[in-house]
Amino acid sequence: FLGAGGGNDIQWCFSQVKGAVDDDVAEADIISTVEFNHSGELLATGDKGGRVVIFQQEQENKTQSHSRGEYNVYSTFQSHEPEFDYLKSLEIEEKINKIRWLPQKNAAQFLLSTNDKTIKLWKISERDKRPEGYNLKEEDGRYRDPTTVTTLRVPVFRPMDLMVEASPRRIFANAHTYHINSISINSDYETYLSADDLRINLWHLEITDRSFNIVDIKPANMEELTEVITAAEFHPNSCNTFVYSSSKGTIRLCDMRASALCDRHSKLFEEPEDPSNRSFFSEIISSISDVKFSHSGRYMMTRDYLSVKIWDLNMENRPVETYQVHEYLRSKLCSLYENDCIFDKFECCWNGSDRQVIFNGTVTFFLPPLCSIVMTGSYNNFFRMFDRNTKRDITLEASRENNKPRTVLKPRKVCASGKRKKDEISVDSLDFNKKILHTAWHPKENIIAVATTNNLYIFQDKMN
Amino acid sequence: MLGKGGKRKFDEHEDGLEGKVVSPTDGPSKVSYTLQRQTIFNISLMKLYNHRPLTEPSLQKTVLINNMLRRIQEELKQEGSLRPVFVTTSQPADPLGDNFREAQPAFSHLASQPLLPTDLVSTTPLESCLTPASLLEDDTFCTSPTVQHDGPTKPPPPALQPVKDSFSSALDEIEELCPAPTSAEAVAAETAAHDSKDHPSESNVQKPEGLPESRTAESKLMDSLPGNFEITTSTGFLTDLTLDDILFADIDTSMYDFDPCTSATGAASKMAPVSADELLKTLAPYSSQPVTPNQPFKMDLTELDHIMEVLVGS
Repeated sequence: FLGAGGGNDIQWCFSQVKGAVDDDVAEADIISTVEFNHSGELLATGDKGGRVVIFQQEQENKTQSHSRGEYNVYSTFQSHEPEFDYLKSLEIEEKINKIRWLPQKNAAQFLLSTNDKTIKLWKISERDKRPEGYNLKEEDGRYRDPTTVTTLRVPVFRPMDLMVEASPRRIFANAHTYHINSISINSDYETYLSADDLRINLWHLEITDRSFNIVDIKPANMEELTEVITAAEFHPNSCNTFVYSSSKGTIRLCDMRASALCDRHSKLFEEPEDPSNRSFFSEIISSISDVKFSHSGRYMMTRDYLSVKIWDLNMENRPVETYQVHEYLRSKLCSLYENDCIFDKFECCWNGSDRQVIFNGTVTFFLPPLCSIVMTGSYNNFFRMFDRNTKRDITLEASRENNKPRTVLKPRKVCASGKRKKDEISVDSLDFNKKILHTAWHPKENIIAVATTNNLYIFQDKMN
Repeated sequence: MLGKGGKRKFDEHEDGLEGKVVSPTDGPSKVSYTLQRQTIFNISLMKLYNHRPLTEPSLQKTVLINNMLRRIQEELKQEGSLRPVFVTTSQPADPLGDNFREAQPAFSHLASQPLLPTDLVSTTPLESCLTPASLLEDDTFCTSPTVQHDGPTKPPPPALQPVKDSFSSALDEIEELCPAPTSAEAVAAETAAHDSKDHPSESNVQKPEGLPESRTAESKLMDSLPGNFEITTSTGFLTDLTLDDILFADIDTSMYDFDPCTSATGAASKMAPVSADELLKTLAPYSSQPVTPNQPFKMDLTELDHIMEVLVGS
């Protein structure tokens, strides 16, 4: 049968969970970013301790067609170390803010990882053979006495246990005064941008000693600062176009062909404030925490504190769709301001770029990208999905309880007010320390990675 | 704080704070709007001035909190509660160049900032928030609005000064001579905010005592707002050396012995040291340097006498 179903035709099942079981969370283990590579075979996470852990999907076992490959640890390395800024007497956190994969060009994999100040290009390569049979060296590396060499032989490669090595190939440092919040690789695969609170820089992947400043919103007088950059991304197809979002809920689209310094936007996306919802916190909750282009580049998605908005790049004055993530929090904004939760930066993601379609079990088609489902996190370890076609949404929970492989996840519901029905959770019982900020969707399959504070959950759809 | 799945109980004083902002021109809901605004103001101050991170605080968070405070300040100003602010001199720019720690800014630009759209249209005084005018007419500044003990629903007076008495005009003169705000004001503000937070029902008493005092403290506290982009050091904005000098060094307060005041009310006894500090700063000569007790007062003795007379109310 032809199965290209929407979000709610997908039945999500628990697949795996990675990370410590303890309730006591070690600060360094807090996951700060999650990203699939372009094929989906690799899944990278970054944490507050500056480490990157890469999981690799097992090759599908053709006989076990009812489950996709599991993800197992492939490589772990320390990407960033804590540093100390002597001028300001402040620590520079080693926390990994973002990881972005480069498309694979040869046997090795490359990714960019960044903390607040420094971006690094890492090469991850496999070694499963090693040369043996040198003439001048013993197997353990000691040099042989040349007088004992009587014959010559050609060294040969012999198999060895797989070793995965990560090595830093480029370090892009000293270009950001403020904290880096985004990196985005251009569609030319040669350049990338990095954005901090006030500036955006353009780099060439080969050149580390200089970058071009393409956006600068720092006012001459810092006391006049009222708005900062919160996220930035290159257009997926147009290598001269990028967008950046702000703490005032605006998105600016810039064209690098227009001028060297893109301080004047080509387009400004902003939705006028709804006067009936105005409060002291209107500005804070309008601050955009994430922006993601759709795979076609025709749409982009933004996440603010309470909602997800889909924008058509051809329409600047309002989004084409708005989805409420947790509207029941609107009456709690004062408390959420007090405990700082209102500043939490939730990310959002689209469903995969390719839709795999199985026909008769033998022929496989790939449908063009649909970008029909959006996913984002919430509190109490809940995460939400919205189906743009059916307009239905679902709330699921990432939890070790009641999670057996291939058991379909039970939808959750939060009771905003009034009588709480059975199985509903009241707003006052939500655990605001359990927040899902980072989620990722496999580019080709219905596999999602959801990060709670220190655990990584992998869910798959139930294949019949 | 919100716990791990435990049921949260709202503090009493948060009743009516959640939810949409009500128009401040309605009757009793006008009170809750003001209360909400005051609470948010205090929370915002706490966030800015209590944060002592080892790493740089988030610029985005600082900017958003700052915007919140400025918005509330503009509202208060429009309500007529704050005098137009005065221009202060700037401290020298940070020679280290382009980093978070920018120069201590002048304050004048805030007067010209466009007012954010609010429901507040009327400028009529909010009678329920005013201190009875009779109290303002008392001859000493030490009288605190001790009448307002009505409990949590009674809002604290947001530093209103509807009556221009001789004292306040004298204070105007003094303040026109006043140098740039020092970090001590931030401490005074923090103390005020802290008190307000801990004792919401008594915040109107424990706020900088006496309306004129609270007015100047609050306006000074506003002054220090734009500078908080500098609050990035682990030692914090408040641990200036000069602050310690002012607070803990020996101050000769013999000139400022307010005998009539100290016996007026119980709260007044707490005010003497504060007032000495305030006076110390306001009487500082025309320099931008923070006041230290060792600096000789350049002000004329006659002017000092004049000020003393006004303050003592004779």
